[in-house]
Amino acid sequence: MAKTYDYLFKLLLIGDSGVGKTCILFRFSEDAFNTTFISTIGIDFKIRTIELDNKKIKLQIWDTAGQERFRTITTAYYRGAMGIMLVYDITQEKSFENIKNWIRNIEENASADVEKMLLGNKCELHDKRQVSKERGEQLAIEYGIKFMETSAKASINVEEAFLTLASDIKAKTEKRMEANNPPKGGHQLKTLDSRTKDSWLSRCSLL
Amino acid sequence: MDFQNRNNTANKFVCPSDRQLALRAKLRAGWSSSKTSEPLRPEEQEAIISVIRRNEEIEIAERQRVGRLVERVEKIKQHAVERGPNCCRLCGDTFGLLRPHRIICEDCRQSVCTKCSVDINIRYHTSERTREIWLCRICSETREMWKKSGAWFFKGLPRYDTPRSASATPTPTATPGGMASMAGDTRAVHSCHGTPTRPARVKKLTIRVNDSSSSSGPSEPEDELDGGAGSGFGGGARGSAVGRLQREDSFRLRAYGSIRSFIDGGERKLSNSFFFGRQQSHRPSECPDYDSISLTNGSAVAQLRRESSSLRRGSVSSSWSISESSGSGNSGSQSQSQSQSQSQYTQAQQQHCRDPLLGWLEIAISYRENFHSLDCTMVRARDLPAMDASGLTDPYCKLNIITPEALTKYTRWQRTKTVHKTRNPEFNETLQFVGVEPEELGNSLLYVALFDDDKYGHDFLGAAKVCLSTVHSTSQYRISVPLGVEDQYSSAAEMAQEWPNGKILISLCYNTKRRALVVNVKQCINLMAMDNNGSSDPFVKLQLKPDAHKNKKHKTSVKWRTLNPIYNEEFYFEASPHDLNKEMLIVTVWDKDLGKSNDFLGSLQLGAQSKGERLQQWHDCIRLPDHFHEKWHCLAPDNPAH
Repeated sequence: MAKTYDYLFKLLLIGDSGVGKTCILFRFSEDAFNTTFISTIGIDFKIRTIELDNKKIKLQIWDTAGQERFRTITTAYYRGAMGIMLVYDITQEKSFENIKNWIRNIEENASADVEKMLLGNKCELHDKRQVSKERGEQLAIEYGIKFMETSAKASINVEEAFLTLASDIKAKTEKRMEANNPPKGGHQLKTLDSRTKDSWLSRCSLL
Repeated sequence: MDFQNRNNTANKFVCPSDRQLALRAKLRAGWSSSKTSEPLRPEEQEAIISVIRRNEEIEIAERQRVGRLVERVEKIKQHAVERGPNCCRLCGDTFGLLRPHRIICEDCRQSVCTKCSVDINIRYHTSERTREIWLCRICSETREMWKKSGAWFFKGLPRYDTPRSASATPTPTATPGGMASMAGDTRAVHSCHGTPTRPARVKKLTIRVNDSSSSSGPSEPEDELDGGAGSGFGGGARGSAVGRLQREDSFRLRAYGSIRSFIDGGERKLSNSFFFGRQQSHRPSECPDYDSISLTNGSAVAQLRRESSSLRRGSVSSSWSISESSGSGNSGSQSQSQSQSQSQYTQAQQQHCRDPLLGWLEIAISYRENFHSLDCTMVRARDLPAMDASGLTDPYCKLNIITPEALTKYTRWQRTKTVHKTRNPEFNETLQFVGVEPEELGNSLLYVALFDDDKYGHDFLGAAKVCLSTVHSTSQYRISVPLGVEDQYSSAAEMAQEWPNGKILISLCYNTKRRALVVNVKQCINLMAMDNNGSSDPFVKLQLKPDAHKNKKHKTSVKWRTLNPIYNEEFYFEASPHDLNKEMLIVTVWDKDLGKSNDFLGSLQLGAQSKGERLQQWHDCIRLPDHFHEKWHCLAPDNPAH
């Protein structure tokens, strides 16, 4: 039982074709980079176990094909995902504009609780930049999600992005388990009172 | 290739214009706005299938992990005493001034003592203030289970496999009754034909289903089509089949038998079509499983599957076939005919069906009237639980007769020989009960308990009851019975085992901060008396082997003149969790003698090479670090040093 873990988080990478989803995943899971472009067929996933607050978290990260023709397959995997990375390419205006379509896609197919994050990939290509960092940040604020500019090639922020998403999910887990039993201040006080009465006051009055 | 590639004007997500809608209405082509551009090529299908297969492996591991979490909570629940409002729900202590405080658990609102509860800090969502709440151990563990299994996200426990049976237990919410769990078993029957390991005689029975319904749950054909290929698209059934594969070739027989006895239990009218229908309705239920989602949601996947099924089998794509195994040898059919007359027996069997199955036992019983003797032949057992790390067991049977007063007839239990290193032992041993009156047969039960033979303790494997009223003096009665869980007789059988060297209570914990194994020697009972005064002066030696640096030895203090010493002493053995998988903790109990050499009192070995409960304690200790895992162990009479 050496490979035991405390949590299994299923993450999903989505975004237009060619924005670098597979490369981001490759960087995160193998810490390597490949310049040749091989379009992902349908779906793929990689596993990496990380540690957060002394808890082992196994991340199963699903890489999806950006291509339209695989859409029926890829959308089927939205449902089980606890966290979704929306990726666009900062050198491609179109991929950024499509983010809102991807968000709508999430809203239609994914669970409402899903944790989202926006990534602007290929941030090492300064001279080809078409989407400014501010616009990315603005969009993220609009949807109330976190944002990072990453580079799979130069290994910038990739690790951080996944760790952030994982810790957000973990925080949500804890919050949700508390919210499951919403704090009832008055009720709690009453029981505390009755407890003290039981053990001390009643005895005192008898004496 | 993305969004701009579709109709230049119409966005997928925007309602088409009135003109377009009008045109579509004229075409009567339906309202679907998107058409898949091109079907998947065979190599693409292969690639996707291989990904799904990889995912299946992960799903199995995950299901087993969740199963372990569930089992942990169940165990704690079982240990709760529930004595009443003035006692702790868990340990049964009464509350009072000098006694433990009463705490009301936040979740279940039941009273527990301070020892059996944990306090957690809760942060208000609005402010930064924190508040302390108390939870009983059951509720805190349940919360932990919800967190760790992802149930919080999916709003219900995901599917899990209990570690003992390794069978796919569907979500409790999805299966409200025994019927549904039976449907689960049927699935196992269908899916098990995918096992290449057991070449079974299979009768095929083809059911045609309309195309319209097939899209909702095309679960059967994949089981079929995977027959040769081993694995394929993962519906729940596939996953369970692979999970069961790990338990070797066994489950076919088991699942089949459980259905059969279920049918015998008065539900004879249920036909195969019922099961099929049941599955259909059962399958598309909300289930947080990638694969089942792909089943219900991904029409493309369904289509792809259909294509691949026709590719591999060359059959018509719209005909799904389910297959029914035609008996697992004559024993199964015999059990069917025998059991219907016996309501008591059927009940027992049904009971077994609900419990995790621990394997099967084949028995032949005959009664010789002139000798008043009952001959019980233990023929063989199948699919016993694995007890050691390599997945093997050293089983033997213990037999007794249970009288109508629910007592054991003989004080001495009959015992077969041990068959070593197998989960499918062939006993072929006849044990004779003498002095059984013919009139006794009608209301007595034959009780068989199977144990694992080990130097350091005999672990329970399974037990079976056979009603003797069907035994005739003329012919031999041959029957296969499912093995069930532990009960009062099995513990009686175990107690009958002699352990002259006494027992020891040891608590293990792996401390991650100190990176050390903590061994707490708590106490021993019923040790042997070695000194002339009818008592001993026991102390315990501990050694972790292999010990390269000769520094992994500890011993407790000597407790003078007692056979039931209480130590409560803790020792630290520095080791990485990885190393622990190779090490063995050797515990020896000695009688301290002054002036002459110490006498040996008993030994125990705990480690990855141990079996049964000892192995489990060791594994639990590594798997759940920073928790104490306490267990009683028997002491063996031989000294490992010699």
